Amino acid sequence: MNRRGDIKRDIKEALGNKNLRGALTRFGEAYLESRARAYAGKDFNALREEICAIKRNAADKMEDLAQRFTRAAEARGTKVFRAATAQEAREYIANLARQKNVRQIVKSKSMASEEIHLNEHLHQLGLETVETDLGEWILQLSGQKPSHMVMPAIHMTRGEVAQVFSKEVREQLPPDIPKLVKVARQNLRRKFLEAQMGITGANIAVAETGTIVIVTNEGNGRLTTTLPPLHVAVVGLEKLVEKFSDIKPILEALPRSATAQKITSYVSMITGPTPVAYPDGTTGDKELHIVLLDNGRTQMQADPVFKEALQCIRCASCLNVCPVFQIVGGHVYGYVYTGGIGTVLTAFLNGWQNASEIQNLCLGCERCKLYCPGKIDLPRLIRELRRRTGEKAGAPSISSQVMAKVLPNRRLFHSLLRAAGIAQKPFQRGGMVRHLPLFLAGLTEGRSLPAIVSKPLRDRVAQTPKTSQIVGDNQRQGVRVGFFAGCLVDFVYPRIGEAVKELLTSAGIEMVFPMEQTCCGVPALYTGLAHTAAEAARQNITAFEHAGVDRIVTACPTCAQAIKRYPEILAGEPEWHQRATTMANQVEHVTGYLHGVFQRLAGARLKKARGTTVTYHDSCHMKGCLGLTLEPRELLGLAGYNLVELECSDRCCGFGGSYSIKFPQLSRQILDNKLDTVAGAEVGTLALDCPGCLLQISGGLTSRGSAVTVKHTVELLDL
Amino acid sequence: MNLHDHDELDRLYALFKEQAEAISALVYRVTDPSAAGKKLREIINQLAVNKLVAVPSPLVNSCLNNAGAQTAAVHTTNLRNYAPEADLGLSEVDLAVAETGTLVQDSTAPEQRLVSTLPPVHVALVQTGRLVHYLSDAIDLFNTNKDTSSLPGYISFISGPSRTADIERVLTIGVHGPEKLYVIFVDRAGGACVE
Repeated sequence: MNRRGDIKRDIKEALGNKNLRGALTRFGEAYLESRARAYAGKDFNALREEICAIKRNAADKMEDLAQRFTRAAEARGTKVFRAATAQEAREYIANLARQKNVRQIVKSKSMASEEIHLNEHLHQLGLETVETDLGEWILQLSGQKPSHMVMPAIHMTRGEVAQVFSKEVREQLPPDIPKLVKVARQNLRRKFLEAQMGITGANIAVAETGTIVIVTNEGNGRLTTTLPPLHVAVVGLEKLVEKFSDIKPILEALPRSATAQKITSYVSMITGPTPVAYPDGTTGDKELHIVLLDNGRTQMQADPVFKEALQCIRCASCLNVCPVFQIVGGHVYGYVYTGGIGTVLTAFLNGWQNASEIQNLCLGCERCKLYCPGKIDLPRLIRELRRRTGEKAGAPSISSQVMAKVLPNRRLFHSLLRAAGIAQKPFQRGGMVRHLPLFLAGLTEGRSLPAIVSKPLRDRVAQTPKTSQIVGDNQRQGVRVGFFAGCLVDFVYPRIGEAVKELLTSAGIEMVFPMEQTCCGVPALYTGLAHTAAEAARQNITAFEHAGVDRIVTACPTCAQAIKRYPEILAGEPEWHQRATTMANQVEHVTGYLHGVFQRLAGARLKKARGTTVTYHDSCHMKGCLGLTLEPRELLGLAGYNLVELECSDRCCGFGGSYSIKFPQLSRQILDNKLDTVAGAEVGTLALDCPGCLLQISGGLTSRGSAVTVKHTVELLDL
Repeated sequence: MNLHDHDELDRLYALFKEQAEAISALVYRVTDPSAAGKKLREIINQLAVNKLVAVPSPLVNSCLNNAGAQTAAVHTTNLRNYAPEADLGLSEVDLAVAETGTLVQDSTAPEQRLVSTLPPVHVALVQTGRLVHYLSDAIDLFNTNKDTSSLPGYISFISGPSRTADIERVLTIGVHGPEKLYVIFVDRAGGACVE
């Protein structure tokens, strides 16, 4: 059921929905600030270490905890049902409703019940099931699906809600939010008072005490668990924690990360059934049933890589910071769980084939990883998903077939790039091209791109004389640094490599360019071509070993983080793994390296570029993977630039390598947002540290006719 | 029972007030149940409350006795019947968490939840000495480790009135729970309780 449709069509639809984009963009902007305020005085990293340890332990012992939970809960009078599948869970609840003569059910928000399509099932049996969370009720009345895990109806406007409610209450309602909320209160209040069964989810389930914790804001959770004589909680196995004290860090992080609240209005900790009060003044015994839901979770737990996804506390911050989600919203993902984590969950809970398309939506910007309170390396999980899907699918696309053939053969790859440099000549206009060859072809859609140069960096560095100027009294002779260029610097922006060489030489450091170096392997890695990526890694390791350098710098943060991942890529080959670890430890982004050099070379002074105002774009991998944010700013400051901060400076530019080929409209929209902020900064120069961002942003600016020039930080420094 | 000395309590109260008011609660501090009763009467008059539901406790009772609110009908039994129509719910909570402006209550008795959820206004009384600094302090107080059978069946954490941002992310107060939450700290709960 619920098989997703055409993803490209869904994306087009989402891009056409201005309400959705407006709401998501506003939210994305406000979220970061209010989240930071909510975490004030708290150590997020310490907190997530704690949560990670708690959830990892729980994942390790999932079955044991499930049994302990069952025993503890039963000792307090709770009835626990272990549901292996969605169907078992649905049937248990339906039978219970039948036995207890239930006709009306109220529900508070539960993703697990969405996951098992409980409402549809109960509805088919003639039971009235009412969603009482305001957002969920809106969706239920309008026959839509949630587009966000925490804010399910974020894609709808007040006008649309007014229409939906007007139809329900048969009265023309104005698009006035407080009024609409009142209408919901009045109508749902009746439902609460009449219902015979209340269904909830749970945010945490404590094994040692048999306690469930429910976190809500509206108060519907309290009413659902208080008024009806029967309470059913549908709880995924991943919600289990071992100890009661484990609640603490999760409860600290969940509201802060989910809605930027220090705490939600209501948190209920329920241990066993409590009495129920009847309108005639009598009290009775309530029944509490907890459905512990597996539905693919044990399979996830058994998987050495994907077990990590069980550390998720469902805060949805990976959605909130995702540049793609911010533009398309949740519906494009097609299933209950959306965004980055949804991509992984969908594979396990809804079937592998259903995640094969949506996993491509990930740009690889790695932003989510920084914000995850469960410390999940989501980008790694998505790469692994792609790798396995690639293995399973059998027939890769034409571009990945070409990549798998061409990339491991450096000579072929480079001669094709050189040929492209000549072949594109007729299409060039002012140094920009409209068409690129082979798998780079899609890059030019709707955008001007720089030409592949006729003389790549490798040819240029070979010709420059190897003289070293010594700065001041800082004798740095004898220091040799290897330069890893990466394809873009080598073949498109050799000027960046030349700037690096000049700076290093001026600082008395010899720059070595190993000719055997090739692509860092990222395009293959992100397409799921593990063997191709591994081959690129081996070639680069060998090339730099031969060069005999003890430090490697690159001007591309994506290349740097790729090389840092070589040990992961070559994990299965012990000898190579060792050599990969050595290379990974040697590599550094040039800006970070230079920052260190200038700190050591106290006497060195950068030449001042007085009065020039620049702004700075934080590239995803520069900030997110390498943690370099202050270093470029300080270097630019030392060089006398007047730095104006760019609004949302760390928001992705939408390049993502081959991403802009797969989802050109999406990439374009993300770029447009970036270009708007650049225009808003009102400066002549944008500095950044990634040749990919440089390509994307300068291409965008050129096609807008903007006069802003984009420079790599090293191009703005002069010793 | 006082968990802290006076200065510490003043600091915790100030923090609680700041945090709770930031999430739209209304916070007061009075010396004794008589003053609490006066505050309650003010609220009743100001909001023109006709029907009040309350869960009895020594503090709640003496506050009600001191309120002298003849205009409002007061129900303390069969709350399931009266709470849905009541204008105001009154109850005593067990703890107050300063860092988040949160009230904590053992609400195993469903009446505790009915009066604090169904009426549009909730007035919570809390002994000032029951302030704790951190949320984790409150959880620790319930976490006895040895004897899990003593864990209350239903522990409620209440922070501000009921809220939603489900329509266009516009914060709206008062959805299914109360739209107004008054918190009255009483310094000497066991003090004079006759008018």
